[in-house]
Amino acid sequence: MLNLTIDGKQVTAPKDSTIYDAARINGIKIPILCHDKKLKPFGACRMCLVEVEQMKGRQIPACTTPITEGMIVQTATPEIVKARELVLELLLLNHPLDCPVCDKGGDCDLQNLTYDYKVDSNRFLDSKFQHEIDYNNPLIERDMNRCVLCGKCVRICDEIVGFGALTFIDRGIETKIGCEFEKGLNCEFCGSCVSVCPVGSLLARPFKFKARFWSLTKQKSVCGYCGTGCNLTLGVKDNKVLTTIYDENQGFHNGQLCVRGRFGYQFINSEKRLTKPLVRKNGKLEESNWDEALEIIASRMKGAGAEVAAIATPRLTNEELLLFKKMMIMAGSNNYDHAAGYAHAALSDGFVRSFGTTAAPSTILDIQKSDLLLVIKTDSYETHPVIGFEINMAVKNKGVTLKILSDKQGKLSRLPDARTLVHSPGSEVAILNAMARVILDNKLADGSVTDVPGFANFEKALAGFAPEAIAEQCGLSAVDIKLLASSYARAEKALILFPVGQAYPGHNAALANAVANLAIIAGKLGKEGSGVLCLSEKNNSQGAVDMGFYAVDGALDALQIIDGCAAGSIKTLFIAGENPLVSYPDHAKIKAALDQTEFLIVSELFMTETAAMADVVLPVCSFAEKEGTVTATDRRVQHIKPAIKKIGQSRTDFEVFAALIDKLGGIAPATPASVFAEIAANVPGYADMSYSALGDEGVFAAVDVKPAFVVPQQTAAASPESGKLALVTGSALYHNGTLSQYGEGPMHVCPEGYIELSRADAAALKFAENDLLTVTSASGSMKLKARVTSRMPQGLVFAPYHFGANPVNQVWSGSPVTWVTVVK
Amino acid sequence: MSKAVAQQAEEQEVIIDLAKANAIIDKYIDLPGNLMPVLQAVQDSYGYIPQVAADLIAERLNVYPSQIYGVLTFYAQFHLKPRGRFIIRVCVGTACHVQGAQRIKETFFNLLHIAHTETSADLRFTFEEVACLGACGMAPLAMVNDDTYGKMTVQKVDEIVAKYSAIPLD
Repeated sequence: MLNLTIDGKQVTAPKDSTIYDAARINGIKIPILCHDKKLKPFGACRMCLVEVEQMKGRQIPACTTPITEGMIVQTATPEIVKARELVLELLLLNHPLDCPVCDKGGDCDLQNLTYDYKVDSNRFLDSKFQHEIDYNNPLIERDMNRCVLCGKCVRICDEIVGFGALTFIDRGIETKIGCEFEKGLNCEFCGSCVSVCPVGSLLARPFKFKARFWSLTKQKSVCGYCGTGCNLTLGVKDNKVLTTIYDENQGFHNGQLCVRGRFGYQFINSEKRLTKPLVRKNGKLEESNWDEALEIIASRMKGAGAEVAAIATPRLTNEELLLFKKMMIMAGSNNYDHAAGYAHAALSDGFVRSFGTTAAPSTILDIQKSDLLLVIKTDSYETHPVIGFEINMAVKNKGVTLKILSDKQGKLSRLPDARTLVHSPGSEVAILNAMARVILDNKLADGSVTDVPGFANFEKALAGFAPEAIAEQCGLSAVDIKLLASSYARAEKALILFPVGQAYPGHNAALANAVANLAIIAGKLGKEGSGVLCLSEKNNSQGAVDMGFYAVDGALDALQIIDGCAAGSIKTLFIAGENPLVSYPDHAKIKAALDQTEFLIVSELFMTETAAMADVVLPVCSFAEKEGTVTATDRRVQHIKPAIKKIGQSRTDFEVFAALIDKLGGIAPATPASVFAEIAANVPGYADMSYSALGDEGVFAAVDVKPAFVVPQQTAAASPESGKLALVTGSALYHNGTLSQYGEGPMHVCPEGYIELSRADAAALKFAENDLLTVTSASGSMKLKARVTSRMPQGLVFAPYHFGANPVNQVWSGSPVTWVTVVK
Repeated sequence: MSKAVAQQAEEQEVIIDLAKANAIIDKYIDLPGNLMPVLQAVQDSYGYIPQVAADLIAERLNVYPSQIYGVLTFYAQFHLKPRGRFIIRVCVGTACHVQGAQRIKETFFNLLHIAHTETSADLRFTFEEVACLGACGMAPLAMVNDDTYGKMTVQKVDEIVAKYSAIPLD
């Protein structure tokens, strides 16, 4: 800490602070346009000029000047105020004064500073800018006429997002912000640039002319898409969520959001929301009322025993899932599961065996504290973009080493000095085992590793994973595997990240075991910045496992429930929020099974493909209308509160399950709070939690790790079928599950599925971008548009799985690799 | 660089053989801070920076395309559209101005119909106004590539245009 004087006040500040930081933490406000606490100092706007006694005669930018011991700073002398007024006069000279129609009005730094400094006239005369406004995309409007060239958008897109869509073009008075060759913006549309723009140059188009900023009520919430658990501020007016509002002090991510979080909110107030219960009468779904619908359901449930089964979406709150489970137990059935079963297997099976618990020990906060990140699948960026930002910042700002093991290149591969080992699809588990073998062979293993249960058998099994043999199977070189293993083992702190989810079937549990084995053998557990982080797919995937909402003790898992429906052993199926017809493997099989189901109940926000097949459809609430807790992928438990009143006659899933428990003769808990109290009393790691303890940013549920080695199984390498391409499914950046189809923003940017293939394959097969290709596998055939990219290796094609209109599960059978033929 | 110019650059994008650009990138790929030398060598080789070459450089050097465009528009030395075989520079600095540079400029325009930074359709001439060529004693002054012409007159403009128009383009 250093001592200095600011405006006559004795203050202290950390050694590496700038004058601006030192003033801010001591409650002294220095005006600024170009500074953002998340970005590197830039010193462009000259609003933060101050005087320093020791540097008399000069005006010093506070945001770029480091403090020194005994510094005497004046932030508002008459000369300084005059200089700032001049800066504002010069900015306002070219800036259009169209504040009445500017959406930034009321939330504009330039407007506020002009007001603060009473700049009500201008001594200069010049014409306004005449730049063309970029309306080329549906989400972000770029009006360079209002720009003050603070460069925040350019810098955030580089330093945090790592996309680099924007740059300074030309120089001097002609400088402006734009894209290469003056093209329209064509990027990830995360809106980070919009969030930091101090003026109305970058605006969210979906919010244009919807409401004045000051008329919005700001409601804090947690994003309802992926498992990252980003905090959101919803801008609400007249019971409508009209926008998301940037708050740089919110969450571990400092308000950073991805396209889904920022622009995917429209599903909440969508016209397509279900508002009344529907009951099938004479073969048609007809409007009904809650009494009738619940009565029918209760009569199907009562005493039904194992003939009734349930599948839930991990988007429900912890309280709802626990209540749902109770309801099923009251009906006499243990057949309940979520996320197709395999999507949570890494936690519910893999980590249970490796760590003795259903969670990974590390948190998102470890990413920036690590020395080496090993990312399995470049898809980690697409599945969890804000975690991707954390990786970007770790690599770019903290110099963390990034190693990637993936079946394709990806955005993360382009980070400075990132090394991507591209292996044949589906072979990552074998490579991780070979790495463990290398660590053991080269005496790089942790000293106490022989004491870990299962070591002897593990060591024996590793004999079958010689790096040379595995390298050949996996399309890598043994040297690469050895180098990767030794740099992982030698790093002081190393963190492994891997995504799981419904689009990544096949070997989730084995992958979790292999990752855990590797972390244990290299001694990477139990240290800050080190360990394992499993990126689970939905906002409450971790919670659903923590609440035990999955098959145990011989009960049917999700896919077995579907089989049971087909076989007639399951007569009543209650699907809460899940859309298996689109998101589970093998469309034809799921459709036949749901057709066979005697009685299908679906609670949903929308008339999904699955809901359309139901006998009773219950309209339920989105995350913005309910209360409860959700658990993010790193076991951060967060409290959500209603931001708006319920839409139409919709009820929360909590109310639905509570009503049904009542009808089944039980006593339902009155409020989510009382169920949360029960969770806090019973669920391991949630002890002593309460709504008030969770606060705004939530609390991490403790993870008690008891490491054990799990013997790896030899797996036969996926043998290529001649003349066929290997199809892998996954997540598109703009989507998460099937819900994002109802968020207009994601659909504007990525409205339909596609098949991504390598340039080499495209050239050989004579496919061009956007060609409509017929993709055929053993389980079916479908048409998809071609996307030719440089990131795909030859022989591999990729398709995202989110789209109900033309679901990829028509050709995808649920194995890690599907062999397909592709023709024009 | 106006939008119109960028569009023009795009329209003029004929099939560009990227072999030369690839060879240049190969040469510099391991050099730290290689963007400027690569851009300069590519411009030397093609006479300007074709957009497809900029895209290639972005991909192979792992630099954002936007960042390359920022560099290209920041430095006056880079050109985004094909340039003429002969670059005519007419000084309009103070000394040349008082000696009648305006008429010299107009005469070139009347003969070639190209204004500041423009290039003739046959890619023979590019015309540029410059602020000073550093030889004010010879005002008014013009240059064609590396040849200097002092004490310019309207008549000399005719002669210069005739002289360089007679040289066959390769």
